[in-house]
Amino acid sequence: MIVFLLIVHSLLAVALLGAITHQTISAWAPASRGAAGSFIARMRAVPPTSYVNAVLVLYALTALLGAIIYPSYRLNVRIVLEQMQLYIPNGAFELKEHFVALGLGMLPAYWYFWRAPHVAEYGRTRAILTALLAFIVWWGFVVGHILNNIRGFDL
Amino acid sequence: MSDAVAISKFVIAFAVAYAVLYVLSVQYNLALFTYHAATEEFHLLVQPTNDGPAMYWYGWLATSTLGALAIAALVSWLPVVSAKRLWHGCAWTVPLVVMVVFVFMLRRYFVR
Repeated sequence: MIVFLLIVHSLLAVALLGAITHQTISAWAPASRGAAGSFIARMRAVPPTSYVNAVLVLYALTALLGAIIYPSYRLNVRIVLEQMQLYIPNGAFELKEHFVALGLGMLPAYWYFWRAPHVAEYGRTRAILTALLAFIVWWGFVVGHILNNIRGFDL
Repeated sequence: MSDAVAISKFVIAFAVAYAVLYVLSVQYNLALFTYHAATEEFHLLVQPTNDGPAMYWYGWLATSTLGALAIAALVSWLPVVSAKRLWHGCAWTVPLVVMVVFVFMLRRYFVR
């Protein structure tokens, strides 16, 4: 069951990664009008507001699943990391845990400032909140992936 | 006071209060409850390790969420706190500073 939940957690994280990365790129480097239809230009041209609900739902679901499988990590993985004296992966996961928690606290503000995308005054706040969430999601994804590579599924 | 102003004050105050309460909860272990993973038991407030490791993360989340909800509700309700006084950039500056604080707090894992 834990393996199944871990895979679903990873798949949700991939979807979240795609959504928040597209939104961050389009918020920080929006395509100019009439830009050529290259891959990069199309990525910059996506409407950032269309990702807000997806990011909110995916972040909450990914964090929830992470919280459900966390005890298994605490019992089966972290103890091994400590025994193997793998301090950096252990510390990276500790940071992931705290960054994800802080991201949860930023979600209401993220939702609010994207609710009124026409208010130019909030432009910087919107972009930075999105970038911070993108950093947290990328950090969580890479660290989770590395730890899974170290320990495997423990089948 | 319009709903929009109240919501604006609420979300900014929540982001700030949550980040500050979370780092304080971790630093001083102010978990609302403890989860013992090995025995799958929840206990109110901070409990020491028993058969297996004690997990405080869920308790820290609960402490910061409930505390931040109360503070944000108070701030959005109080007319003395104007929306202009509450800079919207606080919603990202405070969490960003707290993230840096965590890197500092956990530096022992990376610097040996």
